[in-house]
Amino acid sequence: MAENLTIWQTMQAKGHSRREFLKFCSFAAALAGIGSAGFPRVLRAFEKEPRPPVIWLHFQECTCCSESFIRSSHPIVADVVFDYLSLDYTETLQAAAGFQAEQCMEDTMKKFAGKYILLVEGSIPLEDDGIYCTIAGKSAVDILRETAKNAAAVIAWGSCASNGCIQGAAPNPTGATPVHDILSQPVINVPGCPPIAEVMTAVVTHILVFGKIPELDSQGRPREFYSRRVHDTCYRRPTYDAGLFVESWDDENARKGYCLYKMGCRGPVTYNACAVTRWNEGTSYPIQSGHGCLGCSENGFWDNGPFYRHLASFPGFGIETTADTIGTVVGVAAAVGVTAHAITTNIRKRKLIAEEIQNSVPESGDVEGGEE
Amino acid sequence: MARIVVDPITRIEGHLRIEATVENGVITDAYSSGTMVRGFEKILKGRDPRDAWAFTERACGVCTTVHALASVRTVEDALGISVPKNAELIRNLMFCTQYVQDHVVHFYHLHALDWVDVVSALKADPNETSTIAKAISAWPKSSPAYFAAVQQRVKTFVESGQLGIFANGYWGHPAYKLPPAVNLLGVAHYLEALEWQKEIVKIHAIFGGKNPHPNYLVGGVPCSINLEEVNAINSERLNFVGSLIKGAIDMVEQVYLPDLLAVAGFYKDWAAVGGGLKNYLAYGDLPTRGYNQPDSFKFPRGAILDRNLDEIHEVNPRDSEEIKEYISHSWYKYSDGDDAGKHPWDGETEFNYTGPKPPYAHLNVDGKYSWLKTPRWKEHPMEVGPLARILVAYASGNDDVKEVVGEALAKLDVPVTAVFSTLGRTAARGLETRLVVRWMKEFYDDLIANIKAGDTRTFNDEKWDPNTWPATAEGVGMSEAPRGALAHWIRIKDKQIDNYQLVVPSTWNASPRDGMGQRSAYEEALIGTPVANVDQPLEILRTIHSFDPCIACAVH
Amino acid sequence: MQNTTTSSYQRVYVWEFPVRLYHWVNAITVTILIVTGYVIGNPTTITYGNEAYQQYWFGTVRFLHFVSAFIFFFNFLVRIYWGFVGNKFAKWHNFIPLKKDQWREMVEILKVDILQTKMRGRISLGHNALAGLIYFLTFIVFLFQCITGFAMYSSMSSSPLPQLFNWVVPLMGGDFAVRQWHHMFMWFFIVFIIIHVYLVFYHDYVEGRGTTSSMVGGWKFTRKD
Ligand code: HEM
Ligand code: HEM
Ligand code: NFV
Ligand code: SF4
Ligand code: SF4
Ligand code: F3S
Ligand SMILES: [Mg+2]
Repeated sequence: MAENLTIWQTMQAKGHSRREFLKFCSFAAALAGIGSAGFPRVLRAFEKEPRPPVIWLHFQECTCCSESFIRSSHPIVADVVFDYLSLDYTETLQAAAGFQAEQCMEDTMKKFAGKYILLVEGSIPLEDDGIYCTIAGKSAVDILRETAKNAAAVIAWGSCASNGCIQGAAPNPTGATPVHDILSQPVINVPGCPPIAEVMTAVVTHILVFGKIPELDSQGRPREFYSRRVHDTCYRRPTYDAGLFVESWDDENARKGYCLYKMGCRGPVTYNACAVTRWNEGTSYPIQSGHGCLGCSENGFWDNGPFYRHLASFPGFGIETTADTIGTVVGVAAAVGVTAHAITTNIRKRKLIAEEIQNSVPESGDVEGGEE
Repeated sequence: MARIVVDPITRIEGHLRIEATVENGVITDAYSSGTMVRGFEKILKGRDPRDAWAFTERACGVCTTVHALASVRTVEDALGISVPKNAELIRNLMFCTQYVQDHVVHFYHLHALDWVDVVSALKADPNETSTIAKAISAWPKSSPAYFAAVQQRVKTFVESGQLGIFANGYWGHPAYKLPPAVNLLGVAHYLEALEWQKEIVKIHAIFGGKNPHPNYLVGGVPCSINLEEVNAINSERLNFVGSLIKGAIDMVEQVYLPDLLAVAGFYKDWAAVGGGLKNYLAYGDLPTRGYNQPDSFKFPRGAILDRNLDEIHEVNPRDSEEIKEYISHSWYKYSDGDDAGKHPWDGETEFNYTGPKPPYAHLNVDGKYSWLKTPRWKEHPMEVGPLARILVAYASGNDDVKEVVGEALAKLDVPVTAVFSTLGRTAARGLETRLVVRWMKEFYDDLIANIKAGDTRTFNDEKWDPNTWPATAEGVGMSEAPRGALAHWIRIKDKQIDNYQLVVPSTWNASPRDGMGQRSAYEEALIGTPVANVDQPLEILRTIHSFDPCIACAVH
Repeated sequence: MQNTTTSSYQRVYVWEFPVRLYHWVNAITVTILIVTGYVIGNPTTITYGNEAYQQYWFGTVRFLHFVSAFIFFFNFLVRIYWGFVGNKFAKWHNFIPLKKDQWREMVEILKVDILQTKMRGRISLGHNALAGLIYFLTFIVFLFQCITGFAMYSSMSSSPLPQLFNWVVPLMGGDFAVRQWHHMFMWFFIVFIIIHVYLVFYHDYVEGRGTTSSMVGGWKFTRKD
């Protein structure tokens, strides 16, 4: 323990007050030439030292989650990487390669057992002994299990790690599997293809600043960002309620920014913060730039296509066939059947009915009601 | 003789493993293996061709957007759709945005630590760094106090004992040549570039809704233009794009290029290392009069064989004899035998892993050893990427390219042949970035002029409805991704994808050797690369990083 | 059936008021749910020169769907309750063929309905066994539609009833899947109604017991013997 004392702890031990500590921090900040704007950062750094160690794994993914992460503007990623935490292993950015890189991972697992945060980008292929993703000769699933064993928290970045994303789309040739299906411990799912940068850094800082995991929903997603549908917060919502829809790309309605529902927008079935937090420092989000939501943070969204239609294809009938096509066929068949039945009834039973009518003619007067 | 393994190769995209034989401090043979596969080409079968861009875009989040572009072009090519002028210009702007962001990030965050010794920056005199900075550029952040603050930040960081991403780096390796003051400059700009790169991609967000993975559309672009409407691309949005372009020009001209040339000046010995293949291929891109008019492209199309810059060969991606993919050393099988080469329209993707069971120490490099297929042009291995583009353009007599290349050669005082190298590849990337930011301004001005002239169309709906499609169709969509020549091939049958094949820049460069034993670009470039210390493969990283590997792209 | 000529009828009070009320509330709400549901899934193009704040028709359609949905749901609960306390024709066991007799009757009805043979023997005065079974299936689809509907509704509402169903969403694989199923089962109702209404008239025709009007007045007619 002793070697991990923070500066604040050391000063406390030496009998200094918190006031003195703060003074020391501002002094250190001035020395560092950071100025008052950087002061809170220094305070945090000294107080929290050692910075929480982080291992960031890459499996079956496209690195867009890492790319998204570095787009964060509050906090900016340099502050996250250099002041908030210690990114001890990340194939995308780390200086070391090969066995030296692997060494970084091992050191962290040993030195900070039970204390490091594990971030996973990408799904894990389970088919055929894991041969579809190996790193340093080891299979992804082995690496995941080993690193997760002593992790304080596990975050699954993006749709790949939290629901299998594209490689998990039918026919899922490699048996791509999300993290939470492999580990027995709780996993924080941060879906999206990729997730929004500021959502990613917020989830991490939530843990660091508030000292606890954000509240999760039944699918392991932080409620903070995934409890509302894109549709519920979409600025085009009034046009949806008014029934003003884009009917074809770049038509008059598209140019007025009407609702993209009929162009297949998945906003009504997608939980994400896009319409509120927006992308790239609030610059836009898919719908604001004229394309419907693809539902990229939803489980299995690749198989909910085609994307430009409200309803998915009916499985097994080709992309042009929807539930409505099938329904219409069955409905018409029922109507035709009923009509045909009525006609044959009339032909085959005419005689019978004539007889019945004959028989039912009362012999005398009305039938008196026969109550029970 | 030592057999060294570098796995993972870090500071790249994806899962790359290099095995190399080192004799007397020099690499004599090398094997490049991609160790992750997802099966995109299998997953795409049976889907709506209009959705393919979204799928293929997810091949890679680093060069995000280029697969989407290649994909919409493929489908448009198959169905005979031409896009409105605004759509072409907006696509070009998004393309250029990608180049600038990707190349700057590559230089500072993926490649720089091969040349810049972070720890040595602690010994720098900030005054000296400031003097150097002011001498090479007008960039305003150049005061001694600024560099002192950066240095202090690094110091605090290093003294914390937690080195994070810098842990176990090859600091102090004899191949690091920069003086401390320049190292400090590199570190400062590492941080600046990290903060800047998130700005330029806002252009993607404006036109495509987000970055990474902006949205595309077969037949045009999804964003509508309406100067009378707050809900569309209007003057505010256009101004936003304009100022981002201005910022990009400043960043490239005042930071990236000066740094590149300054660093290159200390590493001229690397102009003799890592040349590798002598054949170069570029499909060309940035159309100015439609995708079907390659002569209107800013980046010209063509192939160079044997470094002969006097002859540009024509490239035809439809010819079944030109581009073929082989799997002699790849974990796949072909229905008619593994020695065959397949044109992508007839391409097959059937897994057939024959490698060792993990965990393993070595691959069986005599057999199959990678998930990448091996593409060949007329049976030749080709290098693709910035160097190939610059060479093809240079050889085609492109004035813009001649100018920037000439300037750089003069500044560094090296002959033209210096470009056939690790250093040349890294320099070519910077030089084309300079061109691309300039062109970006041109496209932007054209877009404004076109809108001003009353044309606001962004989409062509003639063939949107699948009922207008023929029963079968085939198309090819080419592009120049940041890492090189990219193309997708599609076969459409009954309104669905019948076959879809991607042949990607990093597939060309990082693939295993072919059946005839010809190495592809990475493997060839490593031959002759010096390795001072087999336990610190810094030099391997330099040459491999000069290609800017993207293995998720390469395998998909 | 030797002596069909002595045909004097007696009235039987089959459908008590709650059953009839239930039936027509059900018929009306289901019809509204189908129409509004269809429009929600495939909104027609109604673009006047209006701005969004000037109209709310799509919101109204959805509102009608949700209001009808609540009525439909509680109406359905009433019917389930009545299945335990109502008369013998309304009782739950009419819907679940646990007795041999019910199966025999089903075969008989199939012959009459499909092969169009002459009706022999007596069939139940309430629902015939086949109708009962089909209604039972229909009840299950009612339940399914309520579960999926309220599951979707749970994300747009904080009231407690829909919240009871929010577990359905992850179970079914997300909101998209729930919607897709909910939409698909609309077609079940359309087909059901076509066949149901036809069969009511058909059986009225072949049985001659006043089937159609029974759901209005409650009475059926049966021969006295
Ligand atoms: C016979 C019963 C019902 C039928 C035929 C029916 C039909 C439909 C249809 C066709 C849709 C459109 C789905 C789409 O394509 O997006 C829909 C939507 C919906 N239905 Fe129903 N529905 C029924 C009962 C219910 C019930 C009991 C509820 C309970 C609340 C409900 C709630 C909803 C909701 C919340 C939506 C989504 C509306 C929106 O978000 O805009 N439905 N329904
Ligand atoms: C013009 C329209 C309709 C007529 C004339 C009609 C008539 C009838 C009649 C006569 C019965 C009793 C059948 C028997 O003796 O077995 C019945 C039962 C039933 N009908 Fe209809 N019906 C109509 C529309 C509908 C609609 C739209 C629905 C909704 C889906 C529906 C659902 C039912 C159900 C569930 C029962 C079983 C009632 C129970 O015992 O709870 N009906 N209908
Ligand atoms: N190789 C490759 Fe890409 C690029 N540039 C794409 O086509 O990086 Ni991900
Ligand atoms: S979630 Fe999407 S964006 Fe992130 S790695 Fe997976 S495919 Fe890429
Ligand atoms: S554009 Fe999409 S998310 Fe927005 S209101 Fe319309 S359907 Fe909903
Ligand atoms: S596609 Fe994804 S980015 Fe947001 S708007 Fe939809 S969840
Ligand atoms: Mg391929």
